Amino acid sequence: MKLTRRQFLSTSTAAGFALTGLPLRAAAATSQYRTALIGSGWWGMNILREALAARRSRVVGLCDVSADILETSADEVRDLSGDSPKTYLDYRELLEKEKPEIVIVATPDHWHALNTIAAIRSGAHVYVEKPTGHTVEESRAMHAVARHSESVVQVGLHRRIGPHHVSGMKFLKDGRAGDIGMVRMFAHSSGGAELPAPNSEVPEGLDWNMYCGPAPMRPFNSRIHPGGWRNFLDFANGTLGDWGVHWLDQVLCWTDEKYPDRVYSTGGRPIRGEPVLNEREQTTDAPDSQVAVYRFKSFTATWEHRRFAGNNAEKTRIGCYFYGTKGTFHMGWRDGWTFYPSNERESVVHEASQLQEPDGHNMQLLWNDFLTAIEKRKRPMADIEVGHRATTLSLLGMLSLKLGRSLNWDGATEQIIGDPEATALLRRDYRAPWHYPTA
Amino acid sequence: MHVRLKIGPVLIPTFAMPRSIAFWMHFVRSALILLGTTVASAENWPCWRGPQHNGISQETGWNASWPEAGPPIAWRASVGIGFSSVVVSDNRLYTMGNEDNQDTVRCLDATTGATLWSHSYEADLGDKFFEGGPTSTPTLHGDSVFTLSRWGHLTRLNRITGQVRWSTNVAQETGTRIPGWGFAGSPRIHDQKLLLNVGESGMAIDPATGSILWKSANRDAGYSTPVTFKLQDRWVMALGSGKSFLAVDVETGTELWQQRWLTRYGVNSADPIVAGNQMFISSGYGKGAALLEMNASGVNVVWQNRDMRNQLNSCVLLDGHLFGFDGDAGVSSSLRCLSWKTGEVLWTDESIATGGLMAAGNRLIVLSDQGELIVAEASREHFLPLARARVLQGKCWTTPTLANGRIYCRNAVGDLVCVDVRPTAPASSQVDQTP
Repeated sequence: MKLTRRQFLSTSTAAGFALTGLPLRAAAATSQYRTALIGSGWWGMNILREALAARRSRVVGLCDVSADILETSADEVRDLSGDSPKTYLDYRELLEKEKPEIVIVATPDHWHALNTIAAIRSGAHVYVEKPTGHTVEESRAMHAVARHSESVVQVGLHRRIGPHHVSGMKFLKDGRAGDIGMVRMFAHSSGGAELPAPNSEVPEGLDWNMYCGPAPMRPFNSRIHPGGWRNFLDFANGTLGDWGVHWLDQVLCWTDEKYPDRVYSTGGRPIRGEPVLNEREQTTDAPDSQVAVYRFKSFTATWEHRRFAGNNAEKTRIGCYFYGTKGTFHMGWRDGWTFYPSNERESVVHEASQLQEPDGHNMQLLWNDFLTAIEKRKRPMADIEVGHRATTLSLLGMLSLKLGRSLNWDGATEQIIGDPEATALLRRDYRAPWHYPTA
Repeated sequence: MHVRLKIGPVLIPTFAMPRSIAFWMHFVRSALILLGTTVASAENWPCWRGPQHNGISQETGWNASWPEAGPPIAWRASVGIGFSSVVVSDNRLYTMGNEDNQDTVRCLDATTGATLWSHSYEADLGDKFFEGGPTSTPTLHGDSVFTLSRWGHLTRLNRITGQVRWSTNVAQETGTRIPGWGFAGSPRIHDQKLLLNVGESGMAIDPATGSILWKSANRDAGYSTPVTFKLQDRWVMALGSGKSFLAVDVETGTELWQQRWLTRYGVNSADPIVAGNQMFISSGYGKGAALLEMNASGVNVVWQNRDMRNQLNSCVLLDGHLFGFDGDAGVSSSLRCLSWKTGEVLWTDESIATGGLMAAGNRLIVLSDQGELIVAEASREHFLPLARARVLQGKCWTTPTLANGRIYCRNAVGDLVCVDVRPTAPASSQVDQTP
């Protein structure tokens, strides 16, 4: 289903609010935005295709650390739109030379902060893929820089706007599931033990130094690139830092509370085995299973993921259960949402998903919301603040896992209480010449 | 009852034959098809793409009239996770799979599905964006079976006993890069050489000893199986590399030409198809296809378009028409017929998204990614299914194999099914089914 423009506006204004007193940066409604993409791989091109489909973008530049990816992506853009984007291996050069009005950031997580902040400072509106940052202070800096700018910064949390998510949230907020006392988020997949893959020379045309960027340098391994970086903690934060951000955001979308006051996580690699990283070979190092507990004032939320066993014992492998006095509500993905009433005489309520396939997202809606926000000078549905809050919770879970203890969190000041060691890990040292971002 | 007829010098590619012989063979095949019910010719399938390395079997007389309930299933077996297809010779069947980070090469009785021997070695499942497991197919030659793992384990086994004749790891031994999804090209025997798609433009191994005869630059290999053909009195090997399709001199490994053919992830999987001095190449990820004309100094592009994008499996060429899967699995894909000469799309059928196919006589044998086995007329006019039946559940990306009146199909998790299409197949289904 496609929402009509009227339906779309009515849903988007519910969460957005008007910014006042800012100069109109956007060009007139009929013109096209000079649009650039940083990180031109699979997902970046998915976002860019939505931008082209909306017919409000002219692609002026593509950036990637792989010359091959640049060549194939530029080829596709020419095919789709007739635009002939210039290609760049360094995002700084792209921003300086092309002066884009819209920048899409779809690099691996460890690059999000530097890319996004540079794009905002160059005067662009930014659509950055979730999560916002790789460490909490990066995410804070992105949020702060955005707030001190006139840029609209949208985070790729398309579940904020996906039709079954919106209707499911309404169902919950209308009290149809009763009082919710507990939430369980989860993402399970199959898998087993992991053997190391041999390191190899960096492929021709890949700038591996730039790929690693602010993260530590490590030998190249085909398990990382293309597409495998999510399970390497130098570049991302595993499943909690990926799927977890979507479901944490759904919890934050539902609750009136803005943050939990305590976070605890445990887990590891009991099945995949100890991580390997040496001169000859490496494995991934993200946990293969993890539980995180978020203590909110009025409820407890838990996260769990497993990358083994799948989950054929339950009806679903992914999503979020809201446990209420009237029953259990499952917010799912392709399976839409389902409410199982406590009273067995009442019938199950179900709403199907309405997703864009093949990847099962709602990017078109989110992109249109982004354009509306630019034009109307208002906050987008998945504003940087929304993304920052959800990302922070995933990162606190990863931090607790690393330290093996609970973190007491002051969400108002975004500080860990009484734990200097944990506080120090809200950031990390960057590899020279890169500098950790500050607002 | 099978009558085995030897038709033509099967190891010589059709293009190298005088036109008159090719025509004669075509005539004989057509005659055999017409006589199918009374005269059948069975055929082994000793390697990926079959005895003529073109995905086409000469077998005739097999049964494509299936009862409502589907064709008889002779047996089912489990062979481990992977995408390795099935090869058959002398009533023995060979394939590979992975369980618990071990690759296993299996030899099964082709009639009963009983395991005759197996050979395992430690190998990562490698389930990056797919189920993982071996993606190449064993190659039978003489008394041996040759196998290549995604990580470079190259093994020669005795075909009957499973005993290891020699075993090496060509990636480790030469320090050659392993492409993102591991080596997927099947070993190709040519003369006294075992040819591999390892390194930028392949590698040649002495099949007797496992020692390296020549190797190529240490750049990413592609995922296609090497094909060999004679071009201007020289034997040439062509394959898809990480960034191109290219040809080398089989004797020396010297590169003859390269056609740059870049896809998003360096995936050139489908084997090039050669006819005369022309070569068809195709890749998925939006890339498309081209017909190349080869000459002494290199290649010219005859036509190029995005109308046939072979992501996983190769097309078959029948009577000037290409049949194959266009588009990426799970994105938008369909079965298509394309004109060899012009690249024009002759028909598209969207009832089958993706899968693998071979041909036998003038018929296509298609296994859809959903596990539906389809026999169709190889018509340039339209997709004309003669028989179809769901024989497997779950993802099927592996090309089916027809050999000696049986079609072997497997899925990603390693369910292997033997479909009985012998002309005298028993009427009842579910014969000898494993519980």
